[in-house]
Amino acid sequence: MRDRLLILSVFVVASCGLAYELIAGALASYLLGDSVLQFSSIIGCYLFAMGVGSHLSQYVKDERVLDTFIEIELLVALLGGLSASSLFAVFAWSGESFRLTLYALVFLTGAMVGMEIPLVMRALNQRQQRFAELVSRVLTFDYLGALAVSLLFPIVLAPRLGLARSALLFGLSNVAVALWTCRVFRGELLRPTLQYLRSLLVLLVLGGGFIAADELTHWNEKAIYGDDVIHAETTPYQRLVLTRWKGDLRLYINGNLQFSSRDEHRYHEALVHPVLAKLPWARRVLILGGGDGLAAREVLKYPNVREVTLVDLDPAMTGLFARSAPLVALNGGALRNPRLRVVNDDAARWLERNGDVFDAIIVDFPDPSSFALGKLYSVPLYRLLSRHLADNGLAVVQSTSPYHAPRSYWSINATLRAAGLATTPYHAYVPSFGEWGFIIAAHRPGYTPPQAYRVPLTFLDREATRQMFFFPPDMRPWRVAPNQLNDQRLVHYFEQDWSQVIR
Amino acid sequence: MQRRDFLRAAAALAGLPLLSGCRQLLGWGLPIEVLRPGMADGHRLRDSAALPPPRSERRVDTVIVGSGVAGLFAGWRLAREGYRDFVLLNGPEPDGNAAAGAFDGWRYPTGAHYLPLPSPESGHVRELLAEMGVIEAGGDSLRPTFDERVLVHAPDERLWRDGQWQDGLLPRGLGADDDAQQRRFLLHVKQLQQQHGADGRRVFTVPTALASTDPAWRALDGQSFAAWLAAHGYTAPGLLWYLDYCCRDDYGSTLAHTSAWAGLHYFAARGGQAANAADGAVLTWPDGLNPLLRHMRVRIGAERQLPGAAWRIQMQGRQVQVDYVDAGGAQRLLARRVIVATPLHVAWHLLPQLAGLGFSRAHLPPRAPWLVGNVLLDRFPKEPATSPLAWDNVVYGSASLGYVVATHQLIRAALPERTVFTTYHALAADDPATARQWLAGASADELFGQAMQDLYTVYGARLRRQLLAARLTVRAHAMASPQPGFLANAGLAALRAADGPILFAHADLSGLSLFEEAAWWGDVAARRVLG
Ligand SMILES: Cc1cc2nc3c(=O)[nH]c(=O)nc-3n(C[C@H](O)[C@H](O)[C@H](O)COP(=O)(O)OP(=O)(O)OC[C@H]3O[C@@H](n4cnc5c(N)ncnc54)[C@H](O)[C@@H]3O)c2cc1C
Repeated sequence: MRDRLLILSVFVVASCGLAYELIAGALASYLLGDSVLQFSSIIGCYLFAMGVGSHLSQYVKDERVLDTFIEIELLVALLGGLSASSLFAVFAWSGESFRLTLYALVFLTGAMVGMEIPLVMRALNQRQQRFAELVSRVLTFDYLGALAVSLLFPIVLAPRLGLARSALLFGLSNVAVALWTCRVFRGELLRPTLQYLRSLLVLLVLGGGFIAADELTHWNEKAIYGDDVIHAETTPYQRLVLTRWKGDLRLYINGNLQFSSRDEHRYHEALVHPVLAKLPWARRVLILGGGDGLAAREVLKYPNVREVTLVDLDPAMTGLFARSAPLVALNGGALRNPRLRVVNDDAARWLERNGDVFDAIIVDFPDPSSFALGKLYSVPLYRLLSRHLADNGLAVVQSTSPYHAPRSYWSINATLRAAGLATTPYHAYVPSFGEWGFIIAAHRPGYTPPQAYRVPLTFLDREATRQMFFFPPDMRPWRVAPNQLNDQRLVHYFEQDWSQVIR
Repeated sequence: MQRRDFLRAAAALAGLPLLSGCRQLLGWGLPIEVLRPGMADGHRLRDSAALPPPRSERRVDTVIVGSGVAGLFAGWRLAREGYRDFVLLNGPEPDGNAAAGAFDGWRYPTGAHYLPLPSPESGHVRELLAEMGVIEAGGDSLRPTFDERVLVHAPDERLWRDGQWQDGLLPRGLGADDDAQQRRFLLHVKQLQQQHGADGRRVFTVPTALASTDPAWRALDGQSFAAWLAAHGYTAPGLLWYLDYCCRDDYGSTLAHTSAWAGLHYFAARGGQAANAADGAVLTWPDGLNPLLRHMRVRIGAERQLPGAAWRIQMQGRQVQVDYVDAGGAQRLLARRVIVATPLHVAWHLLPQLAGLGFSRAHLPPRAPWLVGNVLLDRFPKEPATSPLAWDNVVYGSASLGYVVATHQLIRAALPERTVFTTYHALAADDPATARQWLAGASADELFGQAMQDLYTVYGARLRRQLLAARLTVRAHAMASPQPGFLANAGLAALRAADGPILFAHADLSGLSLFEEAAWWGDVAARRVLG
């Protein structure tokens, strides 16, 4: 009976051993990329460490075999169980030492795991098992355990529990083996009580970790973002993280700041009102991007606007901003307004396939930081846009910063012109972003800035508006080429511009 | 047996099949479809002669046999000039080597995928592009304005070498000598671009029909490109690999089997320019060049396009009789003139009187076999941040031709949720007959393994998880490859000149296979019909 238990513990021990290896590999591929490299180097390091462990096991004295086994179990439980959480933490708090920590941890765990099986074998051998049978049974269960985990981990554990909790769960299994060995082999241990107490302590630590795992991840993300994370979600399109610090609500998409509730009114008032204040007859408005509903909030201030169509790719984003109480408070429930219709589609595809015409179009696309995004600032896209723009309507385009990214800004202006549109550039100071730029586009020239606004505003008045359309000498227009899809100069400009800004 | 021999044999026996076996295994569970367009009809035509008496007979002024670029261009020209009394027989492979397919809505090419900016000599192609709106302005000028949506978007090309991507296809970092030779070669062909022969014509042009006939320059055709390069001190491995790649990509043949004239033609004949793109830009659509063919079909009109494959074309008094087979059985067309727009190895079996026109079996150009793979992916594979996915992605040192991304030209706020990668492979390593034998006998898995070679080199086996379906197009007689001496092919010259009741139009007439060449012969034939 006791021997059976020992054999069974081989199964558990083998499962845990493989699990730590998989967890380290998965975590490293997740954080560092290049999974083939990560997995093979981790498996290599791990197997080598196991060899070292096996080698070291010979120095354990015969009478200490079971005691050492328990101690090793507890060490493995701690190292392996906390591996994912601690690696996350190292990555979040000090990126540099991540690799070193990773391989050190993998090596130590591997060495411990490498000692387990030889020790069990010796324990069994001392109990006069037939050697052939012994080897065969131990190895059978060793490999069975590996099989179980290799299936369980990717299919059930990782998706259900996440990496941090899976690791803790396996750590708890190691502790269970230790406790169980304490109980069953009480009489054969040198210091049974001490081992018992140690096991309970580790159980407590890991159990606590298991319960607090979410907190821990949360805390780590806070380290990355600096503020309290109140919502984090990975959608098929992007990672959304919402933070709050003393009433300042911030949205990050893929780690980039989208807005801060402190000053987003500046950005959105500047984006929307210079256009809508000039179109008292406007009925139909199109918003591209802007799934946060903040531009929509500004548009909906105009009673003459009957119909707002908001096209944003990510239903998770528009859903979040339609439901979450603090966000609904921020956008004034814009996304639930009966005058507004949300279309979850790719804005460019939607423009291609839809034939509607709008009095005002508000374009709030992400910055042209990649070749894919650069295409949204191109002559073909602007031509498409102009087909959706009513004859005397106005469009406005978020156009990066004329101060920090002058090449990009003026290249967007040149592109709009190349598409046959008449443009009026302007800019506003948004503390979170710096000096930010916009461009109004129309079928015909002759746009003049509004002198007054009919809706309540916080930032814009007559004087502020006048300044927006004035470009001081340090923001003079640059002579740059329009963005052509076959060379995408804008993407190069954008890279060049921001590489010269120390932020 | 020596140890070394043993190792080599073991590698040959175990290692290599194992490796390709792995690639095949990766296809496990994936729906793989193998298409062999034209094969069944072609082989039936080759193997038997008897045809039941026709069930119908129809008179028409002109019949175009074949619906590749050449046939459709001929029809397009006729229709554009207001000539109505003609029909076009599609043949077993509508659109021929410029055909396309789709995985529910995601279109892809199964053949031709790009068109270089047409030079002024390719006025016929410019005319078509202008009608389509692809040339927006300045169709007659040196530098027309093109619709940006079809100019290949940046980033256009990248090369995989030693586990990393480089921009462009010329391998860099292979040493000062390689760099210097590359520069020298490019300069050399740049000069050749402007080179005129004694007759005042440019030495290298597209279409080749307009090129200089100066024998001094035509002599280049007497040697292989490999020999010419060696004679001119081009020995650097990087440069030679690149040039070999180019020959395989355009002609389906290696340096050693490509005429030096053709090899230089690749670089020196193009030189089209655009007002709104850099020199050397190319035009493409998600489904390759197929939209050009669709456009020509609209102009021709569906009512003039007949399904069915020709079986026999012969003179019947002063008329030409075209017997063909469609789903309803054998049919007959009687015409004043016929434009034979099939490949010549097909024409050889269709036309018993070909020999009478001065064309013998020995004049049939050698044909390069091709394998085109299309795979549907859900999600894009991960790319390094510094080198995003390009339109054309090539692996240095590979015997294959890399892969092209069908969704590259889409303008989207986010990456499309799916995409299609098209892999190209010219079976140039073996002689064509051996390669065709392999293609005929290979299982779907083996073909898949070959078609996926470069993709697995780049992305590794993890790409398998993103594959949803694969479609392989086997083109065993895909294109005429311009071997040394091809310019002197008297049989081709005879068919090019034919202006009787039977006319010919196919890229084969040029001896090398390009959209512009095929279109040119379609244009010439149509103009002869129009008189
Ligand atoms: C894989 C591949 C990639 C290529 N890529 C490019 C490229 O990127 N750019 C470029 O310019 N060129 C490219 N080419 C070359 C280009 O596709 C060809 O030059 C061009 O399509 C040839 O057109 P064609 O009309 O001469 O002949 P084909 O395309 O060979 O057409 C022949 C036609 O004849 C018909 N036919 C055959 N038998 C019969 C019969 N018995 N009765 C009636 N009809 C019959 C067929 O149905 C077919 O429609 C590529 C070729 C291949 C194979």
